[in-house]
Amino acid sequence: MRHLVGIDVGGTFTDFVAFDPQTQKLDVWKTLSTPKDPIEGILSGLENYDANAIEAVDHLRLGTTIATNAILERKGSVVAYVTTRGFRDVPFIQRGKRKSHYDLTWIKSKPLAKRRYCFEIGGRITARGEEYEPLDENEIKTLARTIANDPNIKAIAVCLLFSYVNPIHERRVADIFSNECPDKPVSISYSVLPKWKEYERASTTIADAYIRPLVSHHIGRVEEQFTKKGIGKRVAVIKSNGGEMSLDAAKNAPIQMTLSGPTGGVVGAKHISSLVGVEHLVTLDMGGTSTDVSTVVSGRESFTTSFEIEFGVPIQIPMIDIRTMGAGGGSLAWIDKGGMLRVGPQSAGAQPGPACYDQGGNEATVTDANVVLGRISPSNFLGGSMQLNQEVANQAIGKIAESINKNIDQTALAIVQIANNNMIGALRSVLTERGLDPRDFTLLGFGGAGPVHVSDLMYHSGIPSGIIPNHPGQFSAFGFTMTDARIDLERTTQMTSKAFNRDHANKVIKELSQEAVESLNLQGHKGEINLYRSLEMRYFGQNHELEVPISFDEFNDITILSGWEQFHQAHRDRFNFDIPGEIIELISVKLTAVAVTERPDLPTITKGHDKPEPVGSRLVTFDEGKLETRIYQRDQLKMGHSLEGPVVIEEPASVTVVRPEQKVLVDEYGHLLLGKIASTNR
Amino acid sequence: MDLVTMNILDSTLVSICREMGITLMKTSYSTIFNEGLDFTCAIADTNGDMISVAEYCPAQIGGMPLLIKTCSQEIPLDTLSEGDVIIHNDPYRGGLHVPEHTLFMPFFHEGEPLGYLVAIGHVAEVGGMVPGGFAGEATEIFHEGFRVPPVKIRKKGKDVPEVWKLLLANVRTPRYNYGDLMAMIGALEVGSRRLTEVVKKYGKQEFQKTNADLAIYSEKRMRAEIEAFPDGHYSFEDEIENDGNSNKPFFIRVDVYVQGDEVIADFSRSDPQAKGPINATLGVTWSATYNAMFHLTDPSIPKNSGCFKPIRVLAAPGTVTNVNYPAPEVAGNTETHPRLAALVVGALATGVPHRSFAAESGTAVNFVFGGHHPDYDEYFACYDLMSGGWGGREGFDGNDCVICMNGNCRFNPTEVFETRFPWIVEDFAMTPDSGGAGEFRGGLGFQRILRATRTDITASQCTDRHRVRTWGLLGGKEGGNGATLIQLDGKSDWQPVTEVFGKVSSSKYSNITIRPGDRVKLVVPGGGGYGKPSDREKERIEEDIREGFITEKAASLDYGL
Repeated sequence: MRHLVGIDVGGTFTDFVAFDPQTQKLDVWKTLSTPKDPIEGILSGLENYDANAIEAVDHLRLGTTIATNAILERKGSVVAYVTTRGFRDVPFIQRGKRKSHYDLTWIKSKPLAKRRYCFEIGGRITARGEEYEPLDENEIKTLARTIANDPNIKAIAVCLLFSYVNPIHERRVADIFSNECPDKPVSISYSVLPKWKEYERASTTIADAYIRPLVSHHIGRVEEQFTKKGIGKRVAVIKSNGGEMSLDAAKNAPIQMTLSGPTGGVVGAKHISSLVGVEHLVTLDMGGTSTDVSTVVSGRESFTTSFEIEFGVPIQIPMIDIRTMGAGGGSLAWIDKGGMLRVGPQSAGAQPGPACYDQGGNEATVTDANVVLGRISPSNFLGGSMQLNQEVANQAIGKIAESINKNIDQTALAIVQIANNNMIGALRSVLTERGLDPRDFTLLGFGGAGPVHVSDLMYHSGIPSGIIPNHPGQFSAFGFTMTDARIDLERTTQMTSKAFNRDHANKVIKELSQEAVESLNLQGHKGEINLYRSLEMRYFGQNHELEVPISFDEFNDITILSGWEQFHQAHRDRFNFDIPGEIIELISVKLTAVAVTERPDLPTITKGHDKPEPVGSRLVTFDEGKLETRIYQRDQLKMGHSLEGPVVIEEPASVTVVRPEQKVLVDEYGHLLLGKIASTNR
Repeated sequence: MDLVTMNILDSTLVSICREMGITLMKTSYSTIFNEGLDFTCAIADTNGDMISVAEYCPAQIGGMPLLIKTCSQEIPLDTLSEGDVIIHNDPYRGGLHVPEHTLFMPFFHEGEPLGYLVAIGHVAEVGGMVPGGFAGEATEIFHEGFRVPPVKIRKKGKDVPEVWKLLLANVRTPRYNYGDLMAMIGALEVGSRRLTEVVKKYGKQEFQKTNADLAIYSEKRMRAEIEAFPDGHYSFEDEIENDGNSNKPFFIRVDVYVQGDEVIADFSRSDPQAKGPINATLGVTWSATYNAMFHLTDPSIPKNSGCFKPIRVLAAPGTVTNVNYPAPEVAGNTETHPRLAALVVGALATGVPHRSFAAESGTAVNFVFGGHHPDYDEYFACYDLMSGGWGGREGFDGNDCVICMNGNCRFNPTEVFETRFPWIVEDFAMTPDSGGAGEFRGGLGFQRILRATRTDITASQCTDRHRVRTWGLLGGKEGGNGATLIQLDGKSDWQPVTEVFGKVSSSKYSNITIRPGDRVKLVVPGGGGYGKPSDREKERIEEDIREGFITEKAASLDYGL
């Protein structure tokens, strides 16, 4: 009876995936987004769902870009920043680095707080957590009143030096502010990110305060509207770690929503990895203007704590490590000053879009190249709802062809090759640059444009297998239906193997576990909660840590030794060398708590006993040349059907292009398996 | 010329260099290395010409042309085997300064060496007369650290223990140095594995042909950029305030000749070489000139040996811009490099004012210190850096507190700094009014106050612009000075290093002892202004006042507001 709906609010479209557990039916649809008031688009989209079913919608999960956009477009609130005396300029001075070499036009990022609203207070904790100078409570009260009386200031961010070692001062300051200015929310760095490096922590804390009033308002609207319509007993938003959290939790930790939407694809990938039985996946979510890549290694998402939403604005809460690059279907092809053909990062965007959209754009894009090559059919774009203009695509590519002295087909192929190469660079950044071997991976392609490129990318980047999931165009929203409630906590706990304070380390592990479990309980998760612990360690002297998962929940004589040995091994695995006998430094204790939520069992498709019939054929250009290529409709393919490239498989929101000689197999869920996995999975 | 293959190979090679850099950053020990990112990874061909480089430290990128070529005269490529790794740091053999260690190894295809993988990085402690490598009062190269001529540290993949022992016995922090060198070897090995696959995929002929084409492509683009500069003879002069040994200034001078699509930078009118460490080797002067030209041209041109071709550098031996053995030169690479680069920019400002910028701080402050850490019970040494103001430029104010041209380094967060070293940082603040006034003002510098806590700390420094200011352009005013001041425990006044320790210079000195309770104040200069202050928009001046970037007094004095 309980329907589950995942909603991904994007810039242009809002995607919906609804699951009815009784009939095991998965409904997928999209509506236009309403950026001014996103809830409008959500509500009107929900009206498209079966009128009887809407009452049965029990659980809604929402991925939203509201937090991201507020930061990128600088539309958050005026924040008062309060810090240790002598350090109010930390967000302005930053780390001294510049964005790129030799670029004199670069303008350093400004922090999200104005300097006129940055304040200092006395009191100091040392690196060892001792009080070096006490707080001056009167000074803080005076400051709090000043801030309370300034109508411009809407939120407060507090970040004191070494609060991650000892938060006593920060907590006291937060209390005073809550008393003196009760109507202004306070973000304290110890709650937001109890991790060392004051600039990164300050930036994250300021960002939290900066979006807090806006996120609260937005979530309030969601609650109000859903309650009014009587939809959804349980409404949750998607966090940057791919987990869900209750609306109340979101109001208290808005920063957790920084990377909400794109995580859906990775969570969906994780699900597919267990469903199909593939340990290591690399995801490729290619849309109109950009491509996101990420990995699932040994069935788990990869995380980062060094995210920068733009250069110089770090937001370092633990989040799924998604690399975004400016290469999409709309990426423009252009000739540089030396006559070299280049693709992107400039994009034709949604307006005017690629030339073949015939909306006034006349510059060649990757989509135009795919149309010229016959890979995308002009009459089957977006399920035939949009007719593409082949002639305009030819003209746009033709202009580029003239400047590089090649024919139109060669030029279109070169554009696709260069776009692919840019994406291979992104794949390399999440695989080889992290010590992972592409040969161990399977490429999962989604987004409207992903399936067009997967086959080529597998071939050129040495990834042997590929998967195209169902509904690749709405895969993020699909991922939301598969997500768990998840909390990731981390606390800097610096000590060395030479002088290891076991009691302190154990205390941290215990406190993190308690905090996570309590928070999940508060959100209504009373059932089983799985805890995963890991340590961030390095050789004493290094400055970057390796995360080592541990299976123990307490340090004792035996577990300590195994922890150190695990680190040596991890260093060997990652960097091909270790330093036996060297002192090891523990930096952070990390904890992940997962409350497993009910999730849909995916419907299976019928077994095909016949051979699949193509719906037609056309000439498609591959690296090997122009080849007569059979065209299939995806919804006509059945379990066990197998094909061999060159083929093109079309469906409403995407098209899968398969290189010559590459195998395709349709599995029981309707996934398209490509390459090695298609041969071994029979 | 296959432009598509070129594009693809170029980005593949840059990505390999980047991957080497990630290994370096993640596994190295010196903070200047892993937090400061003072390193570079590159690939060179059989002649030692640079094929590809990742975007790490600019000073080292420009130093590449001379480095491998010089070393290969001593150890020719055809004498090398697979798995050999050579270490080198000698400024008088094509190096930049003693702390900069270059490790390189040949890469092979079907048994034939096709070039080198190169990792260059700044190792914080190198022996010599001061902990941290920057002896402000050095008078010989031997004071500056342990010189390493090109020698094999690994043969056929196996460590050469004799070399390791010699290296580690001559530095104060052998555990750290070992970690740094292992990181560099690890980076070379990663690069070697990846590059071998790439060469195999393309084959020798296509690999070499495409790289040669890439060099021609970059050269062609560089020439097109220079062609757009007006032909002419441009000169500029600047002053280095002293050399740490006497209080006499040293003038650096350049004559830049733009002729068609080529540039000649002639530094020969510069002053004779100094007794102290401000001298630049020829490699440093080349590097500084390339750096300036890369700043004045399109930053998207792929960086390889082709870019260097249309640029010629002349520097008379025995001057501060081409020092003779065995004079000291450690600050040449850090302090004189950005000043020489700015000199070229300043000269060309007459020809291409819209591309130029007023003087930046030109110093990374280079405060180095060492001692015994009571918590960790071992010797510590640190090369600490800070970043100053950029010069104003057409359309924009100079950026505040950004590293000078020769590096792209980050400085240490205070929380890392205090955890590692026995200081308390009491102040970390931008300096209002330190940006030179102008239509587009100079960026601000900042200051830090460090207080020694539990142990004696031995400190040295090589910086400049405590007296000589950053220059403005097109009517812009000079920026604010740097300073190093001491407040002894229990006293209230701040005194220059010269007074407290009887040194010749407060910007360059060796081995002062900071005792528990003493404070050191380090101030970085701001940048020069661009354009007349009277042309600055009133709204920008008022916003600067509201944000405290300039004081009301300065607004009235400099801008008449």
